[in-house]
Amino acid sequence: METNTDALLAYIESNIERTLNDCTSCGRCFDVCPMTKYADKLAGAQGSEVVDGVLDILRGKSATPAATEWTRVCTQSATCIPACPENVNPMLMLRLSRITALGSTGRPAVLPDNKRDPNFFRRINAFAALQLSEAELAEWQR
Amino acid sequence: MSERAVFWYGCNALRHGDIIHSAIALLRAVGIESDPAGGPAYCCGTIKDGNLQAAAGMATRTVEKFNATGRDKVVTWCPSCHRHMGTFMSGIAPPKFEVAHITEMLHARQDALRPLLRRRIDRKVVLHTHSGFHEVDANPLVADLLRLIPGLEVVVTDYAAPGHMCSALAPVPAALKDVVRHSVELMKQHATDTLVTVFHSCQRLLCGLDTTDGVKVVNYVNLLTESMGIETPADDYAQWKNAGSEAAIMQRVDPRRIEKIGAQFFASQILPELRKLPEK
Repeated sequence: METNTDALLAYIESNIERTLNDCTSCGRCFDVCPMTKYADKLAGAQGSEVVDGVLDILRGKSATPAATEWTRVCTQSATCIPACPENVNPMLMLRLSRITALGSTGRPAVLPDNKRDPNFFRRINAFAALQLSEAELAEWQR
Repeated sequence: MSERAVFWYGCNALRHGDIIHSAIALLRAVGIESDPAGGPAYCCGTIKDGNLQAAAGMATRTVEKFNATGRDKVVTWCPSCHRHMGTFMSGIAPPKFEVAHITEMLHARQDALRPLLRRRIDRKVVLHTHSGFHEVDANPLVADLLRLIPGLEVVVTDYAAPGHMCSALAPVPAALKDVVRHSVELMKQHATDTLVTVFHSCQRLLCGLDTTDGVKVVNYVNLLTESMGIETPADDYAQWKNAGSEAAIMQRVDPRRIEKIGAQFFASQILPELRKLPEK
């Protein structure tokens, strides 16, 4: 029986396959990215080569430092989406790269998961308790 | 006759009870009675890229809970939740509802909103925008809504910060500092002291500019409710952040509420966040 984790993995894999089929590594997405200037490892990098590296991450091959770094600094600016001549949705491509680079699809992890914060939800609940009424907490968050 | 919809405010918006209350009041004002839902029990799971088992469980649970309400519309607040619903969540758990962002809902009903905005707000404001919420072109929608307020001068610049909201920039501190610096420069350039945010995390990360640079940071929903004359809770988060010291924060927070969440947790997890100011 397929679990919801299997379903999510299948959804991710189908999007990876679509991306690998459609992306031509032209590098336009990298060229317009507003975040590359914040990464020393990306200084002087060629867009097509970095994108090739991202596609390698998606294939589960060893990652280039530049591809890993671009994956890390993606903040979902969406600037890349209209720049893509193949309608790949490079922003989603980098999200898939991030998921893969974190080791979530079973391939070796090459990025640390900085979002693992044991107090993330506890802080949210605390701020809710500081501001909402008991009735709101009971009604809205059950 | 009013519509009925789930209002999905997300997780991190819970730092801003004022925003949630104002949003609910605005939806009601344009004829939408909302069933508010949010917090960890309704998390979209977008933060769990590193743990697909958790991500899948959260996404499926949340879609199923919305399906079970029988409502045919879910109104989103958070751009991350909205995006995640449109891709991963709906990809694995078929929703029985339509999704619309609150800016779309309010903008489409601005004729109902306009006559309610009776109080003048004689102020010049700069709209703080990001480029990344490509699913909904929220920036011009918010600008249009703000222009309905009598007396309000709305400055829309050609600068849009990267990311879909400020919290997206947290992993790249230099980028967040650039956004902070640029925002302050815009205020000087346009000779105003009020910056208007669209999303909660921008409100969270920029509201400390009151202390550092004398810039008032206010979310657009609170300007709209102010013009309507609706009494909504104060922006507690901004008041705490700009209180000036731990002692001053403690004076402003109900001690019974601190007791409820635990004094030690408050001291170790909440106070440090509230004491952290925007950096340039």
